[in-house]
Amino acid sequence: MAKTTFDIFRYQPDVSDAQYRQSYDLEHEGDFTILDAILRLQDEQDGTLAVRYSCRSAICGSCACKANGKTVLACMSQVEDVKKEFDTETVQVDPIGNFAPLKDLIVDLDPFWDKFKSVKPYLIPDGPAPEKERIVSKEDMQKLFRESACILCAACYSECNSLAADPDFVGPAAFAWGYRFAGDVRDGQRKQRAKLYTGEHGVWDCTRCMYCNERCPKGVNPRDAIEKLGGIAFQEGRAMKDAGARHAKAFLISMRTGGKLNETVLVPFTDPIKAHLDVPFALQMIRHGKAPSPIPHRIKKLKEVQKLMKNVKETI
Amino acid sequence: MRRFAYYPGCIAEFSSKELDATTKHLAPMLDIELLPMPAATCCGAGDIAEAKPNLYLTLNVRILSQAEEMGVDILTICNVCTLNLRRANKMVKEDARLLESVNEELVKVGARPYGGTIDVTHLLWYISTEEGLALLEKQGPKGLNGLRVAPYYGCQLLRPSSVMGFEDPDKPQSLERLITALGGEVADYEAKSSCCGFPIILAREAVALKESHSALSQSRDAGADCMVTPCPLCHLAMDAYQRKAEAANGEKYDMPVLHLPQLIGLALGIDNKIMDFKRHLVPVDRVLETVAG
Repeated sequence: MAKTTFDIFRYQPDVSDAQYRQSYDLEHEGDFTILDAILRLQDEQDGTLAVRYSCRSAICGSCACKANGKTVLACMSQVEDVKKEFDTETVQVDPIGNFAPLKDLIVDLDPFWDKFKSVKPYLIPDGPAPEKERIVSKEDMQKLFRESACILCAACYSECNSLAADPDFVGPAAFAWGYRFAGDVRDGQRKQRAKLYTGEHGVWDCTRCMYCNERCPKGVNPRDAIEKLGGIAFQEGRAMKDAGARHAKAFLISMRTGGKLNETVLVPFTDPIKAHLDVPFALQMIRHGKAPSPIPHRIKKLKEVQKLMKNVKETI
Repeated sequence: MRRFAYYPGCIAEFSSKELDATTKHLAPMLDIELLPMPAATCCGAGDIAEAKPNLYLTLNVRILSQAEEMGVDILTICNVCTLNLRRANKMVKEDARLLESVNEELVKVGARPYGGTIDVTHLLWYISTEEGLALLEKQGPKGLNGLRVAPYYGCQLLRPSSVMGFEDPDKPQSLERLITALGGEVADYEAKSSCCGFPIILAREAVALKESHSALSQSRDAGADCMVTPCPLCHLAMDAYQRKAEAANGEKYDMPVLHLPQLIGLALGIDNKIMDFKRHLVPVDRVLETVAG
C-alpha cells in the first residue's frame, strides 16, 4: 500500500476569489493514475473538487493538467511514476498553463477552440464531389500520420513559450491541424491556407522552444507541423511577405552566397525599416565587435552546396 | 587526447568570436583536439528547415559525412547547431531509405555519401560527465571563489529529448555539476530552461523580449552574480538584447552573461584578454572581482 499527498490547486469563484493549494492524503495500491486519485478524492474526501475528464483512456484529451509542473494527461500518468520522476512523496496538481482558470483544475478553453476553428480544421476540396470516394495513396496519408493523431488535449498549448509572451499566437495544436489539411492531397486550399497561417501571430511567431514536441502525449510533434507550414508558405509564394519568412529567406541567400550565415544580410533583410530606425542599437553592437564583416565568408566546396540548392526537391 | 570535428556554428565564428576563441584556447587544456571543418555549411538554424525541409536535411547530412570522413565525432558549442545536426542524424540513422535518397543527392553533386556512423555532442555534455569533470580537476582549477552562477540552458540542448537525450529536460543538472565542480554556487530558478526568444528576435522583437524577461528577472531575484549559457544565440538574447529587454519590461536586470567556456576559463585562470569580455554588452566587472577575491 502506497501513501501519497496530493497538493491540488483550488479556485472556487462562486465561493471566493482566492486561489490556493489544498493537501489531501490517499492510500492506494496497484495501477493508480492522477485521474484515479482526483476521482477518489472527489468521491471520498471532497465533493467540491472540480476536474474535466471523460474517457479515462488517453483518447478524449479532456484531463490534461500539470503534475509537479509538467503537463501530462491525468489519466495517462501513474502516481508512482510521477513520484519517482520527481523524487518526492507529494504530487502537486495544477491546471494547464496559458489559460485562465474557471474552477479548480478546469480552465477556460475558449481561446483554444477559437484558434482551432480559425485554421479551418476540415477538408475543403476543389470542385464537385466525385461519384465515388476520393482515393489517397498510402504514401500521401503517411505524411499526415502524426498530425492526425492530435486529440486536442492542449498539453502543447499549456507550455508554449510563444503563447506565454503573445496570447494571440495561434499555437501548436491549431497549426498541427492546419498542416493536417494543408498537406492533404484532397484539399484545394493550400494557397489560401498558406496565407491564413502566416500573418501576425502565425507560424513565424513560433519561438522553437520545442515544449510542444516534448509534451505531446500522442507524438504529434506540432513544431514539426509548424515547420512544414513554413515550407508550404515558401512553396506558395509567401517567402517575402513577412519578417519571419524573410528571416528564413536570408538564411537561404547566405547559404547560396557563402555557405555560412551572413548576419549583415540577415538583419536588414528581415526588417529593413526597423533595421534603419534602430541605429543606436546597431552602433552599440558595432562598438562591441558584434557587427561582422559585410564580406561574406565562403566555405570550401561551396559549389556542392549551390548545386544541392538547385537539385533538392521539397516533398511537403 | 580526444579528437573532434569542431563545428562552432556561424554566430561563434562571427558576431560572438569570443566564444570561439575561448573554446579553442580551452580545448588543449582539456585534452581535446579540435579539427577544423572548412567545407561545413551553416546548419540552417531551424530557418532553412522552416523554408525547405529536405534541403535542411541534405545540408546537415553533408556536414555529418565530412566528420565521418575525418573519422571523428562532431563537437559543437551551440544549442541550435546541436539540435539541427542531431535531428538530421537521427532521421537518417532510423530510416535507411531516407539515408539512401539523401546520399543520392550528395553523390550527384560530388559530395561524399554518409554511412550513419558518427555522433554529435556539445562541449557541455562532454565536460559535465564524470570523465569530463576529472579533466577539469587535472588542471588544478583556481576556482570561482563562490561566484553565484545562474545556469541558463535555453531550449534546444534539452528538447526534444527524443533527439537530444543527454539529460532529463525537466531536471537538467549538467551546468549545475559544472558550476559546483568549478567552485561556484548555483543560483537556482525556474526559468532556466525557458526560451530566450532569439529565433524570433529580429522578426518579432516585442514577443522575444517578453520571453527573455523570465530568465533574466528570475536569475536576478535568485541573487546570481552572473548567468552562464551553453548557446551563443541565448547569449545574444540575454546579453546583447538585455538593455532592450529592460526597456521593454520596465525592469533592471544588470545580469552579466558568460559563455560556457568563459566560465570554465575563469576557473582555470585563462587570460581575460583571450576571453574578450569587452565584446559583451553587459559589463562583467563584478564577476571578475568576485573570482579574483
